[in-house]
Amino acid sequence: MGRAHASQWPQVSGAKMVGVLDCSMEKSKEVADYHGAAAYEFDEFDAMVRETKPDIIDICTPTPAHRPYVERAAAAGIAVFCEKPLARTLADCDAVVAAVERTGIPFMAGHVLRFFPEYASAKRLIDSGAIGKPAAVRMARMAGMPDPNKSIAESWYKDPGQSGGVLLDMIIHDFDWLRYTFGPVSRVFAKGVYTNPKYAGTLDYSLVTLRFESGVVAHVTGSWAHPGGFHTSFEIVGDAGMIEHDNARSAALTVALRGTGMNTGVVVPESPQIPEENPYYMELQAFVDALKEGRTPPITVYDAYEATRIGIAALTSIETGKVIKFQ
Amino acid sequence: MSSFKIGIISFAHMHAWSYADAVVNHSGATLIGIADPDPKRGAEMAGQHKTEYYPSTEALLAQGLDGVIVCSENINHRRDVELAAAAGVKAILCEKPLATTVEDARAMVDACAKRGVKLATAFPCRYSAPYQRLRQQVQGGAIGDVIAIRGTNHGSLPGGWFTDKALSGGGAVIDHTVHVADLNRWLLGKEATEVYAEIGSGIYHQEWDDTGFLTIEYQDGVFATLDTSWSRPKTYPTWGDVTMQVVGTGGVIDLDMFAQNVVHYDDKAGRASWVNWGSGTDAGLIADFIRLVGGQDAPNLATGEDGLQALAVAVAAYRSADEGQPVSIAS
Repeated sequence: MGRAHASQWPQVSGAKMVGVLDCSMEKSKEVADYHGAAAYEFDEFDAMVRETKPDIIDICTPTPAHRPYVERAAAAGIAVFCEKPLARTLADCDAVVAAVERTGIPFMAGHVLRFFPEYASAKRLIDSGAIGKPAAVRMARMAGMPDPNKSIAESWYKDPGQSGGVLLDMIIHDFDWLRYTFGPVSRVFAKGVYTNPKYAGTLDYSLVTLRFESGVVAHVTGSWAHPGGFHTSFEIVGDAGMIEHDNARSAALTVALRGTGMNTGVVVPESPQIPEENPYYMELQAFVDALKEGRTPPITVYDAYEATRIGIAALTSIETGKVIKFQ
Repeated sequence: MSSFKIGIISFAHMHAWSYADAVVNHSGATLIGIADPDPKRGAEMAGQHKTEYYPSTEALLAQGLDGVIVCSENINHRRDVELAAAAGVKAILCEKPLATTVEDARAMVDACAKRGVKLATAFPCRYSAPYQRLRQQVQGGAIGDVIAIRGTNHGSLPGGWFTDKALSGGGAVIDHTVHVADLNRWLLGKEATEVYAEIGSGIYHQEWDDTGFLTIEYQDGVFATLDTSWSRPKTYPTWGDVTMQVVGTGGVIDLDMFAQNVVHYDDKAGRASWVNWGSGTDAGLIADFIRLVGGQDAPNLATGEDGLQALAVAVAAYRSADEGQPVSIAS
């Protein structure tokens, strides 16, 4: 995710990338050189802060490192943009919230799905009453296992203890969007294989059912079991209509390249957008704009906390076989 | 070849129409007559299928039938199946769901077994060509061991007695759980052990349920979810769907049973609709039923016990929603 953000920062007006820190100095230098910024290694956070004097720290580390870096940035009084999920455990989430509250630093979480045009469009339609009162919702986010050629030891994504698997790393996006659109969740029930050692590092699949205080029922599919491609979809039914989206049906461009054999080749569907509507650009620009105008950034630490709480409730439901009820 | 004498009890369920059609078109069967408590509907249906109308079930059953198809309201299935069994027919095909309670379903299965009458449940989706291909692939090991199945059986609002709980026994959940519950069970060869359900009525705001999101656990930890909702709007291009995403250790198969459509943009109707060109399912179902009537094996045909097991999932779903907890199914 660091590279995705790095490629967008140059477009953000009112901001400039001044430093890059990574546990690999090689990677750090590569990105920093490209952007004309200073490169730092793993343990050089204090040096980076001292030398580059940043106004914002953008945290794109593996999930377990979110907490320590938010705490260090907060202690230095620097605004934080933090990738999702907020943390791997609720205790770490509590610590992040406490650090943000104690220091009063501006904070925004990278629940970027809110900036994806198909999801933003759906929310506008729902808010305008286009489908009446919402009742039944289905969402899906399906892909292959990340880091297919790495072992669990080499890939923090593959280690549920670090990433929380497909549930906490990927469909947390849907949890945030659902809560943002339909309000507070009252209970969570889930099935999945994330703790099953039989499938460790090869696949992950979760089916989650959520009940909202408003009465809405939602189902979320999270898959790291799908070979080939990235598939997202949603359907939202209200008492006066329904909206649906499927990225397989909204590819505005499909590139098919001929291979050497009869039926070989590769087909890549795309949904191109203008750079100003790139969701990763938009979330960073929204943060910078809020800072410049002295506003609260649009996705707060509490929003990120609640999304993570839903994800962890789903993990707990899988582990215990029980319904997790929220107060 | 002898022609088996078939009768149909009630056209309350619209599936009776295509079953009647399939019987008429079957070279080894004759549609002897139709009984229906509604004389207007009964006479009209009998006329359309060029057969006799009988004002009472007893009058139809007095014709010495070999096989009976029961398409009455859910609550009347037990009564009609028991009457047919007592009349000494060879086999009975009962519309789904087999009954509205597991007790009624058990009584039907037992009544038929006691008299040596074969009881079948009408699960036409078993005869879907895309589903049979899916089953062949899964059983051939194409995707390894099945881990999970994500299913939907959406529909539009059926209206009529389907939304009269005294006749239907519920709403969307009892109407739409059983098809995919049966398809899952037949695919996996495993019994459902536990059900959790979120049930709602947020689309039509009536006393019956229009929204059902079930989670079903099977033997060996295989899990499934099933959306049974009557959630297709009036302007949706078709009546609904049956979908299954079958996730295995070696891959994923997605079934969209009714995807074989041409799209009809209809200015007269003011909407677009999907016109299905997929292979039908009812001819296969009825052909197997006629085999059963003739004393032959029909291994693909769902039995009364199969119908009972599928119903048990729907009944457990309502219980789970009442209790707010997953509930176990005693199978």
